[in-house]
Amino acid sequence: MDYYLGLAQTIGIHTLLGLSAYVLMLTGQLSLAQAGFFAIGAYTAGILTVLFQWTILPALVAGALVAGFFAFLIGFPALRVRGLMLVVATIAFSEFVRLFFFNLSWRETIDNVEVGPDSTQGFREIRFFSANGWEVWEVTLFVWFFVIAVMAGLWWMDRSRAGAVLRAVGEDELAAQSVGLNLTAVKVAAMTVGGVIAGIGGALYAHTATYIDHLTFTVLLATFAIAYPILGGLSSVFGTLAAVVFIQGILIEGLRFLGDWRNVLFGLLIILVMNLKPRGIFDARTALLIKRIFAVHRGNRGDA
Amino acid sequence: MEDFWVEFVEITQSVSDGLLFGSTYALIGIGFTLIFGTMRKLNMAYAAASIAGAYAGLAMLAFVDAPAIIVFLASALASGAIGYAVYVVCFRFIPVDNPLAALMTTIGALFFIDEVIIHATNASPMAYPAIFDDVMIDIPPYSVRGDLLFVFLVGLLSMLVLLFVLYRTRLGLATRAVSQQNIAAQLCGIDVHKTNAQTFVVAGVLGGVAGAMTAASVGVLSPLMTLPLTVKGLIVTVIGGLGSIPGAIVAGLMVGAFENVFLYLRGVNERDMYVLLLLFVFLVFRPNGIFGKSIDRD
Repeated sequence: MDYYLGLAQTIGIHTLLGLSAYVLMLTGQLSLAQAGFFAIGAYTAGILTVLFQWTILPALVAGALVAGFFAFLIGFPALRVRGLMLVVATIAFSEFVRLFFFNLSWRETIDNVEVGPDSTQGFREIRFFSANGWEVWEVTLFVWFFVIAVMAGLWWMDRSRAGAVLRAVGEDELAAQSVGLNLTAVKVAAMTVGGVIAGIGGALYAHTATYIDHLTFTVLLATFAIAYPILGGLSSVFGTLAAVVFIQGILIEGLRFLGDWRNVLFGLLIILVMNLKPRGIFDARTALLIKRIFAVHRGNRGDA
Repeated sequence: MEDFWVEFVEITQSVSDGLLFGSTYALIGIGFTLIFGTMRKLNMAYAAASIAGAYAGLAMLAFVDAPAIIVFLASALASGAIGYAVYVVCFRFIPVDNPLAALMTTIGALFFIDEVIIHATNASPMAYPAIFDDVMIDIPPYSVRGDLLFVFLVGLLSMLVLLFVLYRTRLGLATRAVSQQNIAAQLCGIDVHKTNAQTFVVAGVLGGVAGAMTAASVGVLSPLMTLPLTVKGLIVTVIGGLGSIPGAIVAGLMVGAFENVFLYLRGVNERDMYVLLLLFVFLVFRPNGIFGKSIDRD
């Protein structure tokens, strides 16, 4: 049972990661900075619970806010460039954050044990949950509380004016600008929201994994972050969730018998999917098709 | 005063070593920029293909005992072949107006190549042959490593060959035509797909030279080299200005010198952070790079 709960935690955390990229992708921008925000959230919250003995909730909020703050900061220079240049800029940001934590050493002795980030050795013993007697299912519930809250928030946003604004910028920047939208403000806002969501995910990750090091937050993680919304499509937040369940639940867990060859397969899968469906598995056409199938069913029921 | 003098010599020595090694970054940057120039797309698998080419050259040593120079040549050719494969798999069937899909396929190819290397070598670094690594040219108070000088000269030669291909051959003419206006080029009877594929092979060979030279000057080849080389190549491309070959050359040498100075001043763990900061400085103050032209290019 614990195995499935652990898997549920992973799926929840990766959904947050994917949703953080989803928000910015609505404005038509692809960011690989998500790994950096995730790392900032993870290290901030970890340092607060381990070195400062905070409880999890304020530490998590602090991690999310710090990550959001950095997203806001780098949003301005990074969003001056678009498209592929933004990809390069955000890769550079993630790498910078990774190298920063690679070099960060902050050791203190608490209860006769030396704890804290230990540069190349990683950050061990982030044991808030086990130290306070949380059961695995309680932790899982805690993770999913945030996943559902973020999903609901984004779902609601998508139906409000804010969602329309984001999508307008994503569809046609020139048209959006000519109806009076401030492109920079919209994109930086999306980047900030994405940073906060990634920060929550990172904070949860640090405490469920209990061990983080710089190798967790490489370009691979950033690629996962954008792969979920790309595979799941941008029509709704549920696409991202479906993609996470598919990749983490079926591909990665289901193919465990393949051992390390799974990673090879992951690269091949991306290539294959993008060749067959360059706009994602659930692109506009597929989404319409699914909608039609459901509409037909509903219609039939109505007749009967 | 004495201390200052020693420090000055050390730093200028770092700059010169870095400039020599920077020629490999320049080659990688040129490869990125060439492909961006013709297709308006990024090939994220490029540096990985270069390292894979170096591995392929090394694999040849398992069968025949070849001199280092043959290994370098084999690396370059293998990388050209991998470049062609990457084109077919990651670009050929992706819609022209969808750079982000091509970005994803090449990231997929990057991981694929990386993982194949890791599996083939059990992730352990392998020794790579070098030339002139026992030569040391002393010009007091400086000294120049023979192998680095060789790397630099090979880099220079490759750039000259590339410029010759681009400006003196029909292939180069076609490549430049496609990069300027691909529809007009198509109307003139240029086969765009064929030209793109040839550009990938040329860029691949260049990358193979860079991969071989990187491995030769470090002395080992490891799958851990692909990601840093990718990031460095991208940084060089952006600093030089996307699509600009002279820009890539200047930026490559500059990044090489810059990182080597910080290697001396701050150590190996912090070195790359300063290179990334250099990129941010450029993104803020000169987002189009040294030689970038249009404002809105993406």
